[in-house]
Amino acid sequence: MKRLFVIIVWILVALLGAGAFAKIAFDRGEPLNATWFVAAAICCYLVAYRLYSAFIAAKVLALDDKRATPSEVHDDGRDFVPTNKWVLFGHHFAAIAGPGPLVGPTLAAQFGYLPGTLWLIAGAAFAGCVQDFVILFCSIRRDGKSLGQMAREEVSKRGGFIAQIAVLAIMIILLAVVALVVVNALKSSPWGTFTLAMTIPIALLLGAYLRFVRPGRVLEASVMGVALVLFAVVAGQWVAESPAWAKVFTLSGVGLSIAIIIYGFAASALPVWLLLAPRDYLSAFIKAGAIFSLAAGILFVRPQILMPPLTRFVDGTGPVFAGKIFPFCFIIIACGAISGFHSLISSGTTPKMIFRESQARLIGYGAMLLESFVGVMAMVAACSMPPGVYFAINSPPAIVGASPEAAATTISGWGFPLQAQTMVDTARSVGEQTLWNRAGGAPSLAVGMAQIFSNTIGGPRLLSIWYHFAIMFEALFILTVLDAGTRVGRFMVQELAGKVWKPLGRTGWMPGILFSSGLIVAAWGYFLYQGVLDPLGGVDLLWPIFGIANQLLAAVALVVATTILLKMGRVKWIWVTLVPTAWLVAATMTASFQKVFSSNPAIGLLSNAAGLSAKMARGLIPSAKIAETHRLIFNRRFDAAVTAVLAIMILVLIVEALGQWYQILRRQTEPVLHESPYVATRWAADYSGTAHGDD
Amino acid sequence: MRHAAKTAARFLRRFWHGLREWCGDAAYESYLRSKATEFSTCRKLTPAEFYIEQLNRRYSKPNRCC
Repeated sequence: MKRLFVIIVWILVALLGAGAFAKIAFDRGEPLNATWFVAAAICCYLVAYRLYSAFIAAKVLALDDKRATPSEVHDDGRDFVPTNKWVLFGHHFAAIAGPGPLVGPTLAAQFGYLPGTLWLIAGAAFAGCVQDFVILFCSIRRDGKSLGQMAREEVSKRGGFIAQIAVLAIMIILLAVVALVVVNALKSSPWGTFTLAMTIPIALLLGAYLRFVRPGRVLEASVMGVALVLFAVVAGQWVAESPAWAKVFTLSGVGLSIAIIIYGFAASALPVWLLLAPRDYLSAFIKAGAIFSLAAGILFVRPQILMPPLTRFVDGTGPVFAGKIFPFCFIIIACGAISGFHSLISSGTTPKMIFRESQARLIGYGAMLLESFVGVMAMVAACSMPPGVYFAINSPPAIVGASPEAAATTISGWGFPLQAQTMVDTARSVGEQTLWNRAGGAPSLAVGMAQIFSNTIGGPRLLSIWYHFAIMFEALFILTVLDAGTRVGRFMVQELAGKVWKPLGRTGWMPGILFSSGLIVAAWGYFLYQGVLDPLGGVDLLWPIFGIANQLLAAVALVVATTILLKMGRVKWIWVTLVPTAWLVAATMTASFQKVFSSNPAIGLLSNAAGLSAKMARGLIPSAKIAETHRLIFNRRFDAAVTAVLAIMILVLIVEALGQWYQILRRQTEPVLHESPYVATRWAADYSGTAHGDD
Repeated sequence: MRHAAKTAARFLRRFWHGLREWCGDAAYESYLRSKATEFSTCRKLTPAEFYIEQLNRRYSKPNRCC
């Protein structure tokens, strides 16, 4: 009887999800309510978690709770620490959730709400969650080895090297593009710049407190820090209203990028306790608070979705970025549906802390579902503002026109009515001087979030405070990704440089630290600088390259996972990883090819460079702009080369893996699985399990 | 009523404990509790030493994603 009741409940959940999806996909009448998005997403997640992840856990991976996990075998109280599953879920989610699921869906909203929402939900359920879950499982079975080590052992030595280089390249592009998002959000914004600048002395204060006053008392320090940051958000208004102080904190794009480059170098070279770690604590608390507040705000306000399901830009002529739905929607969304970077977390700290194998389902699959939900909320926030305002914020002047009137005319001509005065009023209501040409997704998301928050608490009076809270929230954790990533990149550079000259590999040697920090900062700083100077705003150039690189890394992770499943003899079930691999390879290779070779200069980097060269040859470029044009041509060719090299490296790895799969399937070689030896758990008998979330 | 209060108190206690573990506040206590520390012949680290050592380890590998 109970079983029948459970079945009926799950059928109802599935029907509700299907109904909500049908409403989103086919309703063309009145504007949709955001509740349909929330209902469709949550029901799909519940069904996917209950059925698909359970199937993967039982049939594909055959998780074994009698087998000791690395946290039991190597328990050292430091890296290997048995941890409550809900605490580890929080750790894992805080690690995987970055700016990607917020910025990607906001940019992809230019196609309308439908393609992005479908991919966010379906992509997460069938690809992103599967990748995170399977890689976490593989790493647990190998004492918490990294993706690179697993690629080296299970695919080939060359595969491991390719994965290592791909990670470094992706890190560099990622850091540049997230820094560019911050620059575009803060340029000419004294309020936002002041608030973010204040987080540095606050972090230093916290660092000193945690180091000298109360070592390790993170909670009390974070409460103080969050209170100070919230005060800085309010104080930013006074700075913006003071002509003298506003001038100090009004920086151009170039000025901000130089400040961020100096900050990145300092965060990498200074002791970690001083700046990086306390900022991370602040960021983690504010990130968790803002995400839950946004979810609560959407449910409370239930905003109307004003963006159409599909816009005219599905044909590839979008002003935010150029390219058709396939492949670019799947590239731009990035982390909200699947992210290769997650495989580094799933094969990093998490497998060393997991208590039982079965908990990999909640942590690997479940945390990615939550990240996808963050992406859906970002889509709702972006699509609940008038589409004309969305395009005005995210479109570069080179496309819509330099003057507000010209831009309003162009955007209205696309079918999204907009008056120049509307943008003036919107900017004034959020306490900004202007919102034109703020490509990057962060300002438009902040406007959407601020409208939802202010409709929940405070009304229009608090709109400007909420806007700057949202900007601070986005910029704070983007900078956390930036400083933590720069430091990790420094370690990677030191590891590689140590092979050339040993002292450079010593992580405590100051000249080595300065050299490697300088090298990694110069690498992402170069991409950032070229983005800032780009006439189209840079985001349309760098975000697709980042998306391609990130999805290529996901393809690497899924190829490694498929190889391991084949070696485990799970041939019958390899479609679980093989289908998302095939989809990712198809989407990323198409996108890479188009980015490099498309004859459309809005998409193809080489044809864009050729077009600029031809213009120069015909004398159509004013002499004052010749040096800038030379630089643009070089940058586009360089970006094309980076994209092509990444794609070729991943193809080499795939071809190597295919050769191995063929040999295994034809039984030409005996598959060698590099799992750690089986050790039976002792905890089943002497641990209640409740302390570790097993209740 | 008393049962509800007890349940709420138990929930809050567990939530507080989980929050401390999540943010790293309880990391030193976990280190002292671990069997490796308990049976080790090496000197136990002080809270300040453990804090620095833990940070250096944590921020030397990818721990924040995009």
